[in-house]
Amino acid sequence: MAEGETAAGETGAIEVVDLRREYATRSFLARSARVTVALEGISLSVSRGELFGLIGPNGAGKTTTIKILTTLLSPTSGRARILGLDIARDYYAIRSRIGIVFGGERGLYNRVTAVENLRYFANLYGVSPSEIEGRVARLVKLVGLEGRENDRVEKYSRGMKQRLHIAKALVHDPELVFLDEPTIGLDPGGARDVREMVRQMKKDGKTIFLTTHNMFEADELCDRIAVISRGRIVALDTPAGLKRLVRDISVIELQTYDATSEFVERLGRLPGVTRVVPDIESERQVIKVQTSAPAEVLPLIAGVAEGVRIIDKAIREPTLEDAYLKLVEE
Amino acid sequence: MTNRRQAVKASMYMSMKLLLADPQWLIPVIIAPFIFTLVALFLYRDVSGPILLYAVLGAGLMGMWGTTVYGSGSSVTTDRWNGTMEATLAAPIPLVWIVVGRVIWNTLIGLVNGAAILVIGVLWFRTGFSVTDPPLFALATVLTFLSLSSFGLVLSTVYVLSRKGGFISNSIEIPVYIATGTMFPVILLPLVVQPVSFAIGPTWGIDAIRVAALPGYTGIGTGYWLDLLVMLAATACYFALAFYLYVRVERLAKRNGTLEEY
Repeated sequence: MAEGETAAGETGAIEVVDLRREYATRSFLARSARVTVALEGISLSVSRGELFGLIGPNGAGKTTTIKILTTLLSPTSGRARILGLDIARDYYAIRSRIGIVFGGERGLYNRVTAVENLRYFANLYGVSPSEIEGRVARLVKLVGLEGRENDRVEKYSRGMKQRLHIAKALVHDPELVFLDEPTIGLDPGGARDVREMVRQMKKDGKTIFLTTHNMFEADELCDRIAVISRGRIVALDTPAGLKRLVRDISVIELQTYDATSEFVERLGRLPGVTRVVPDIESERQVIKVQTSAPAEVLPLIAGVAEGVRIIDKAIREPTLEDAYLKLVEE
Repeated sequence: MTNRRQAVKASMYMSMKLLLADPQWLIPVIIAPFIFTLVALFLYRDVSGPILLYAVLGAGLMGMWGTTVYGSGSSVTTDRWNGTMEATLAAPIPLVWIVVGRVIWNTLIGLVNGAAILVIGVLWFRTGFSVTDPPLFALATVLTFLSLSSFGLVLSTVYVLSRKGGFISNSIEIPVYIATGTMFPVILLPLVVQPVSFAIGPTWGIDAIRVAALPGYTGIGTGYWLDLLVMLAATACYFALAFYLYVRVERLAKRNGTLEEY
């Protein structure tokens, strides 16, 4: 049986073996280049029809991975097959069978309408001219841009642009869709709509490769998740499997007022506390205290508050975010 | 792989929409030709007869150079600014075909530009426009455009490779105007420069245009048909070089990770 094939003879959607990517940057007149390693040799596989998530902090290698898998960037070494095709050799064949959603405001022709953007990319992807109008109309409806499809894209909100990105990625009815942080910068309603579209894609039988910073989103959507940190895959499991990594801990969540970094340090020194994750920069301060002995730690917190007002405190089960933080910080 | 003709047509249509969507399209198509003509006529204000037509033709060719040669490269830069470079490259068609669509559109705009200069020269500045041999003039003009397009396609590869493409092509703009003889005959250039001029295909086309337009004009001295033959040979080389370079620069840009830089 050839590499990447299933017992039924069908290849997986994505097969990655020891993928490595280095960037060389050379300043003006410099004799030698500075080499940054973005991927340290990652391996993973994604089955057809699977919704696979790749999560990790900024600079961990998520976008580099997506760019390599979508044939926009060459790996320094290693191999990858997409739908059974080699990324180094069969890139045009791969491109015609995958869709890519780049997050953010860029990547669209802002001075023309959504319909003109979709028609253009449909033509570049070789959609039959007789099918283009019908397909564009269906996609406009699917992503909820009806009534605004003939407005210039520059007049669109961030959420509308993201919907158009999704429609653009689906214009040639790809088998595999890559979504690079599709909900970044969207309001909660817009993000929920995008998640609903992703679910619909999966129902339609598409394989999805998703990168995100949003742990709730990854937990809710993904069949399996790989956690990437400093260019390495540090864990790969189902959301439930990843959460089991932190099943021996509980989280005490504190809502505070006037909390300081000194308070966070004092919490970290309490006996039984394994990790403190503060979010004290925003107005609504939330501090998460991870511990395996919440009943013992909870009464000690008041003793180190020293003027910090604790508005609310609760013990809860660990989430995917707790597992993620444990993995990327270790 | 996508049907090439379909991609070229789509790219051409998108270039048209993008140009017309921006009110600044008046600058390259109308305002710049007007200025070119004004400068040319100012330089040649003390002469009369065919020389005046020579000047207007020179201005027209400079205008055509601008839109045709630099339009293609700058469209790649616009893609970088828009963030559409990666989306374009992600399509299952070699980038060169998408740029060919843009080149065709820019060539058409270049023709409009050249025509605008002639019209401005004749109607506004009262320059006489009497071409010696109109069919040969038209043929040489169309083929020179083809040559300019092929030259533009070669230059545009620099833009794919680096965001500094504009710096390189802008810095050679004026030397190329001089070397190709748009404003004064190539034979007046120093001997050391002339080989460079003769290596540039459009130099021969510009000479052929003038041979067909101006009575008694000999220019380089090789005659109309030999001019065209040399230019067509150079154009074929440029197209071959452009297609080869596009394969190389796409590969290089993917390797260097410079596609998304802007």
